[in-house]
Amino acid sequence: MRSVRPLLASCLVLCTAGCGIYALPAGATTQAQVLHQDWTVFTLVGLLVAAIVSGLIVFPLLAWRRRRDDYPPQFRQNTKLELIYTIIPLLMVVGLFAVTYRDEVIVEHLSARPANTVDVLAFQWSWRFHYAGTAINIVGTPNAPPQLVLPVDETTRINLTSSDVNHEFWVPAFLFKRDAIAGVKNSFDLRPIRVGLYRGRCAEFCGFDHALMTFTVRVVSQAAYGRWLHAGGK
Amino acid sequence: MKHGIIEWLTSTDHKHVGTLYMCTSIFYFFVAGLLALVIRAQLSQPEMTLVGPHQYAQIFTLHGTAMIFLFVVPFALGLANFLIPLQIGAPDMAFPRLNAFTYWLFFFAGLTIFSGVFVNGGAAATGWYAYAPLSEISVSTGGGQDLWIIGLVMSSISGILTAVNFITTIFLYRAPGMTMWRLPIFTWEMVATSLLILMAFPSLAAVLAMLFIDRHFGGQFFDATAGGNPVLYQHLFWFFGHPEVYIMILPFFGVISEIIPVFSRKPIFGYTGLVLSAFAIAGLSMGVWAHHMFTTGVVNNAFFAAVSFLIAVPTGVKFFNWVGTMWRGSIVLTTPMLFAIGFMLNFLIGGISGVMVASPPIDFQAKDSYFLVSHFHYVLGGGSLFAIFGAIYFWFPKVFGRMLSERLGKWCFWLLFIGFNTTFFVMQFLGVMGMPRRIYTYPALPGWGNLNLIASIGSLIMALGVLVFVWDVVTASLSHKHAADDPWGGYSLEWWTTSPPPEYNFTSLPPIRSERPVFDAKHPELARSNVS
Repeated sequence: MRSVRPLLASCLVLCTAGCGIYALPAGATTQAQVLHQDWTVFTLVGLLVAAIVSGLIVFPLLAWRRRRDDYPPQFRQNTKLELIYTIIPLLMVVGLFAVTYRDEVIVEHLSARPANTVDVLAFQWSWRFHYAGTAINIVGTPNAPPQLVLPVDETTRINLTSSDVNHEFWVPAFLFKRDAIAGVKNSFDLRPIRVGLYRGRCAEFCGFDHALMTFTVRVVSQAAYGRWLHAGGK
Repeated sequence: MKHGIIEWLTSTDHKHVGTLYMCTSIFYFFVAGLLALVIRAQLSQPEMTLVGPHQYAQIFTLHGTAMIFLFVVPFALGLANFLIPLQIGAPDMAFPRLNAFTYWLFFFAGLTIFSGVFVNGGAAATGWYAYAPLSEISVSTGGGQDLWIIGLVMSSISGILTAVNFITTIFLYRAPGMTMWRLPIFTWEMVATSLLILMAFPSLAAVLAMLFIDRHFGGQFFDATAGGNPVLYQHLFWFFGHPEVYIMILPFFGVISEIIPVFSRKPIFGYTGLVLSAFAIAGLSMGVWAHHMFTTGVVNNAFFAAVSFLIAVPTGVKFFNWVGTMWRGSIVLTTPMLFAIGFMLNFLIGGISGVMVASPPIDFQAKDSYFLVSHFHYVLGGGSLFAIFGAIYFWFPKVFGRMLSERLGKWCFWLLFIGFNTTFFVMQFLGVMGMPRRIYTYPALPGWGNLNLIASIGSLIMALGVLVFVWDVVTASLSHKHAADDPWGGYSLEWWTTSPPPEYNFTSLPPIRSERPVFDAKHPELARSNVS
């Protein structure tokens, strides 16, 4: 019975560490697919490390519980072992950094000729989507969140800023968020791969109605997008 | 009795000051814990209306502020105040009156922050990092924000003076034979912590002073419309804010490194590596602040990601030190040891999720979501908090001369461990599913209500564990059974003197020939001289 508890504890740890892959939405943009890869790599490595280290923590509790009033060998160090357990984690993080760097360069890449450009303005507590080169200007309120319409399989450039406090543009299905800061213009590309309706919201606490600062993203076919633009955003 | 209270309140004895620090910080733990229960009640189901948005913002701001600035940090400083002179064989701190001053500064800092509750507009409601421009007077008009700023500046000055006192004491007041390389690990970790405080806290005081000038004297530091820059606030805040994370964990690495050897009946494994890793962590932690700013689009993400990843190496080394200490030991699972094990298992998850969010592409999804809330609670709740309970159960007999109950202690541990993991386990799911932090309400999306309910139930289990702890302390205080001077078979010098120690701490000292002089004196056949 005594030895069951640490085992239970370590199982709990493994389950917890294991929730990396779980509920992560399948990415709905080409960028999100890359981000998804990064998650998967880190989660698997994290699981492996969690399994090994929690095993190392729990094993001594099972193997060397005090049974007599005695004193074990009083060893203090092992330089070779200490070097090994310094170098292995070092190599691991170098590898993880390489994966990260590769993926980040792809995600942050800005296309030279985006098909569409939307200027997004965040304010307390909603959003304004202005489609560059058109008169389309969609302004929301906390109780009537605005909708961002994007064409599928086409790159849309988002230019993001804020007119008051810091906000943050987040579409969980795109696995991506970016800050909206007054005086800073943040640009990024989105290339949706699936038609559908997605939830978006502000992720940076921005005052009392922060919780209500949401929007939706409707990804439509290119033909439908053309018609929508032509109709002036109706 | 009256004489006793006045003696305590005017004392400059490091043991009294340290005990006052710890008791005050535990008080704020209860307050901040109650606030957390309100948060969990409000979020237990979609569309709850227990509190409104304005109250909710004050509650999470005070919860975070109190847990960080009024509980974890002051507890660490209080424990260090109590232990450092004892561990190095000194009669007191180098500057006893300065020491008492730092406590009272901290005491009034806490009152100042919480007094915001009574002013017009309520307490600060901008989160524990109070980003400008949200915290500027144009948006946050109330006096609560000002009281918050003043309180935190007081607490940072208190921290800086304490760090000066610690460093001076450790460098100049060690007993004969106590060379630097024989310092107990806890004291070593406090050297690293104190250096971090000296480097980081001035930045906090500076950024808050700038915010205050912005609010009242037209400073325009962070006002983009007037040529200021909101990003500057983030740089200055996190230049303090990330080292702060290590200020809140290094002391507890020290606590764990004191507890595990005693209950494994072995010396700490890899003493030198453990000390060096503390300084590696401290050094690297000064160069990672902008990993809190990956999504601002105006920092070099690759550089800050690389340095952040590197911190995992010395942190990992510590885990292997602890495992090496338990290896082939004679392990007994007392309450302090259980909390040390709980610390390691929880902190492991905090560390691994920390490496994940140090990768900018992952951070783009995880930042400001409940994944991040889970991550930092695994570090500070599963980590620091469990080590604090371990420390309380380990040193309570030394501080108060009474033993806490092992039976109640184990109940406390299991309730906290199960409750903690129930609460913060599911938050990882919620985060990647898209639940952001700091929202007072959420729609009934698939799964959200159930996962939040599980988290809220976990918080009640934790509360039960805390109640068991309170009961344990009350019964122990009322009992007349005195604790032994060395109830655990301790290693460092605090176990040589009486429980509680007398004024000026020692009437005699054993020869100091290693980092565990008390063990050497009691087990000469196993002692190893460490004459270099």
